[in-house]
Amino acid sequence: MNLFVFLQENYSTALLLTWEHLWMVGLSLLIAICTGVPIGILITKNKNLAQKIIGSANVIMTIPSIALFGLMLPVLAVFGHGLGKVPAIIALVLYSELPIIRNTFIAIKNVDPAMVDAGKGMGMTKWQLLREVEIPLAVPVIIAGLRTAAVMIIGIAAIAAYVGAGGLGVFIQQGIARSHESMVLAGALCVSLLAVIVDLGMGFLERWLTPRGIRL
Amino acid sequence: MASLRQKASREMISELPNESTKGIHFTQPCDALEREPFALNRGFCMIEYDSVTKVFGAGKTAVLATDNVTFTIEEGETAVFLGPSGCGKTTMLRMTNRLEILTRGNIRVRDRDIMEMNAQELRLAMGYVIQQIGLFPNKTIAGNIAIVPRMLNWDRKKIDERIDELLQMVKLEPDIYRNRYPVELSGGQQQRVGVARALAADPDILLMDEPFGAIDPINRDMIQDEFLKLQAQLKKTIAFVSHDIHEAIKMADKIAIFNEGKLIQYDTPEVILMRPANKFVSDFVGADRTLKVLGLLRVRDAMNPTPRNVIQGRVGADEALKFMEENNFRHLLVLREDKVLGYVTRKDLKYEQGRVEELVEKFPEELGHRDPLREALSAMLMHDIVSFPVTEDNGSFAGTISYQRIQQSILELYAESQDD
Repeated sequence: MNLFVFLQENYSTALLLTWEHLWMVGLSLLIAICTGVPIGILITKNKNLAQKIIGSANVIMTIPSIALFGLMLPVLAVFGHGLGKVPAIIALVLYSELPIIRNTFIAIKNVDPAMVDAGKGMGMTKWQLLREVEIPLAVPVIIAGLRTAAVMIIGIAAIAAYVGAGGLGVFIQQGIARSHESMVLAGALCVSLLAVIVDLGMGFLERWLTPRGIRL
Repeated sequence: MASLRQKASREMISELPNESTKGIHFTQPCDALEREPFALNRGFCMIEYDSVTKVFGAGKTAVLATDNVTFTIEEGETAVFLGPSGCGKTTMLRMTNRLEILTRGNIRVRDRDIMEMNAQELRLAMGYVIQQIGLFPNKTIAGNIAIVPRMLNWDRKKIDERIDELLQMVKLEPDIYRNRYPVELSGGQQQRVGVARALAADPDILLMDEPFGAIDPINRDMIQDEFLKLQAQLKKTIAFVSHDIHEAIKMADKIAIFNEGKLIQYDTPEVILMRPANKFVSDFVGADRTLKVLGLLRVRDAMNPTPRNVIQGRVGADEALKFMEENNFRHLLVLREDKVLGYVTRKDLKYEQGRVEELVEKFPEELGHRDPLREALSAMLMHDIVSFPVTEDNGSFAGTISYQRIQQSILELYAESQDD
């Protein structure tokens, strides 16, 4: 019951932290989409590059988030951004790149070669083919990658509280420091709820953006 | 000679009050023509392959896909590229619209070297149909057909009109199918759309890579027939890849037989069947090539237009019997005016008093004068009848076809091909 009492008393803080959490995740995703999708498309044209890029993204995924923050600290400290939102967002972007790049790459690669052949044979340019056929067909898989990335970095963003990035991790971190059980639980509950809601929302987006012809 | 014949038939067709033909002339896209790379050489449309060689890979792993292939497809002709898989026929086709780049030699379309042309322009001026159909699943049927016209910057109203016209041409009701998606259509319907899409901007040349290969046999036969009818009106120049000898015989004006990258023989289906260039061709066309020729010849080519064993139904039975005995006929064909009623044998007539038409036995099958001889022979074998009546399109009596006439026409063909 303490949990609800805590949330009732601190609901404005909780809302603020949730908002902070959300925009960190949202901004990171936006940056990751803007870079990851073009990279994913680009590497479909070059097998060597594809292996290297997906390989590096895989390596980044294996670094524990806490360690990544630690690794970035001395580097970013040079620019006066060792702590705070900047390292958090950089880490979140890096973590979301892999699912986004990989899914984009696989989705474009998996477009039926017959379709590409027909398009080329009709006189479509590479760009037209990409815009009118390959990307629309890849959209569901790309969004699925986005969904994975979003849910994952909502969790990672909670850890970013340790580098002073704010967000719902603050409840967890301070709760642990103060042995304030309800506070830890409140943070955990909010993060989990956020992840579930975002996941559902993304699922909806996925359905909505899938071209009708392949939904049938 | 061939071009004269084509010209004549084209003029005849343009005089026909046929809706779809008329429509095509109306919608002959002026702006598309201006953009068409071949516009200056109109009337000279043909594809010339000149010692075309294609090598895949390099060094030790190099594979010779086509080897010094030279032949010409004339305007309005359907050339079927035939051969076992891996013989280079598909590569030939794909080099024509530069999906593959030829290694040596050159390909000229309407007297222009394709390598000097813009690849996009070249492809926009040729319809392309593939076996896997390749409709874009994210686009509606209308959207799929509109692709090339849109790339040619037609205005929207014209594109919409063209879509409806094409759907009607391939026998799909526009109001039903226009806004459907490819997944909602059967394989056969999808390939009809594939053909419509290739015809969208009214190109003079169609490239078809086993277009009906993925369709079940019954539908394939139907869609082939429809395509033949369509082609009789449109008179496109068609390069058509197939591995099926039956399809080749049915669709082709000329067949190009390939093996291991080489062009073995290029000629009309009749000559390929009756006078194969070598053992490979004769093996490929099969030991039953005479039967295949029967699929090419029409009943009207072999029928007897003025048979003597014919009698009107109102004649009395005794008179008919006398007529048979005098002429030593084994059976008589019974007509009422010019409609076939059936046949009578002597046994039917013996001891009978009434009129012949009351004693008639019906023929189990009717043969039209356009039916292939193969069907006539099949009917004879199945029903054990040596002579069938043949009817005109309107059902009136045209003549009779008998086993002897069929054999005779085959023998004549053999003799002809040995003469020249």
